[in-house]
Amino acid sequence: MLVVGEKINASIKSVGRAIRDRDEAFLTNLAKDQAGAGADFIDVNAGAGEGAWENAAAAMAWLIGHVQSATDRPLCIDSDDPAVLKTALKRYEGETVMINSVDAEAARLDTIGPIAAERGALLVALVMKEGGIPRTVEERLEAADFIMARLERYGVREDQVYFDPLVLPISVDTSQGLVTLRTIEKIKGRYPSAKTIMGLSNISFGLPGRGIVNRSFFLMAVAAGLDAAILNPLDQRLMSLVKVSEMLSNQDPMCRRFVRAFRKGTISD
Amino acid sequence: MNELIERLKENVIQGRMTRDDEGIDDTLTGPGVVELTRMALEHKITLKDVIAEGLTAGMEVVGEKFNAKEYYVPDMLASAEAVSSAMDILKPHLEAADLAAKGRFAIVTVKGDIHDIGKNIVAILLKGAGYEVVDLGIDVPTDRIVDYVREKKPDYLGLSALLTTTMLVMGDIIEALKTADLRDSVKVLIGGAAVSQEFAREIGADAYCADGFEAVRILDSYRQA
Repeated sequence: MLVVGEKINASIKSVGRAIRDRDEAFLTNLAKDQAGAGADFIDVNAGAGEGAWENAAAAMAWLIGHVQSATDRPLCIDSDDPAVLKTALKRYEGETVMINSVDAEAARLDTIGPIAAERGALLVALVMKEGGIPRTVEERLEAADFIMARLERYGVREDQVYFDPLVLPISVDTSQGLVTLRTIEKIKGRYPSAKTIMGLSNISFGLPGRGIVNRSFFLMAVAAGLDAAILNPLDQRLMSLVKVSEMLSNQDPMCRRFVRAFRKGTISD
Repeated sequence: MNELIERLKENVIQGRMTRDDEGIDDTLTGPGVVELTRMALEHKITLKDVIAEGLTAGMEVVGEKFNAKEYYVPDMLASAEAVSSAMDILKPHLEAADLAAKGRFAIVTVKGDIHDIGKNIVAILLKGAGYEVVDLGIDVPTDRIVDYVREKKPDYLGLSALLTTTMLVMGDIIEALKTADLRDSVKVLIGGAAVSQEFAREIGADAYCADGFEAVRILDSYRQA
């Protein structure tokens, strides 16, 4: 299970403020804490470049510089603006990098596809078309097909792609949990070398007991074939579950990593 | 008759659309909101009483429970959907009696943003509160929103954006309305995870709504003013 730490995101109010005020210490600490907690990648989302920033790209470049000075973990560069992604990748140091994200919009695939191919970057692809989030598995697969075909034109390999099956709040439509799980299964069937990734917290929007809802859905998704998750690595119960899910889905030979983590006291039972 | 209205209100609070619906607490039996609304019409209870004393009074309690975190999103949606169905039943009667809706509310998720869940929740609550709601959709270009305001003259325009990037479009829309000389023709309300009271003031919106219940409260306060 690949863990992408979600905390450095401008839409979290305290983080947005830190980026606006250029509070490097706050942000580098957040990077170190997440790396220490076991995040494999650190997501960085710098927002729209409000306040002191001339634009979103400048804010992102600054953020990447400071986060990279604080941790050697690779970053997941999070923006829906191709111009920001381009600038960010220029600023970025290191081989391994994840781009978050593209969807089935041709123009974006045509801009980001060649960059991802050239960089060998991992690429998060939301199985979403223009006009919103499809409510059915079939439409989401159509979006995945469109994305993969378009990316192949530019030489992006299947194993670079992390499909996000999309998670909608169960509180609003109780059919959507299964739609997400089926989408994971079908994508893994159709594109065996591609990976799947999803954010966890959306599923529990509007409900009480969000922690247990998120954790349970995470386990169901792992059973369906989930490879990666964008989550809060500072949530120790969730990180315990990451270890457990690796063991239960035959990714932890001899249960070594689970037992080792338990001995270290990092598993909450 | 009052007893029927009281039951209607209780069933709204329990989010019981129909008689076979177990409701939020699984305590009520008998007809649900849809059946009780039809019965009220048969008994010639005034439309005003059905709406004000039954449906709206029920939704007010739901709003209080939601704010107190006693109710969650699915509870609130169950009640709102029940009330929305009741309004559909009442609509032809309201039109025949020449009782207009409280005003037309156009709601839209701005260009670049495809999030519709919050928008849909607000829309259903406003519909249940007696407003005529027109949903313009998601990812709607600014010029289409301006054209709509020019042609259809809605009383209220609700703008939704979830992202820190797309919330900036709300300011563009307000500027575009000014340029088109339409700003004074419509009240602009904004909502969404990224926006705030302060942001509403910055871009010159008429109000920020933290949730759908607040939207209803603010709109009703305009009508009383």
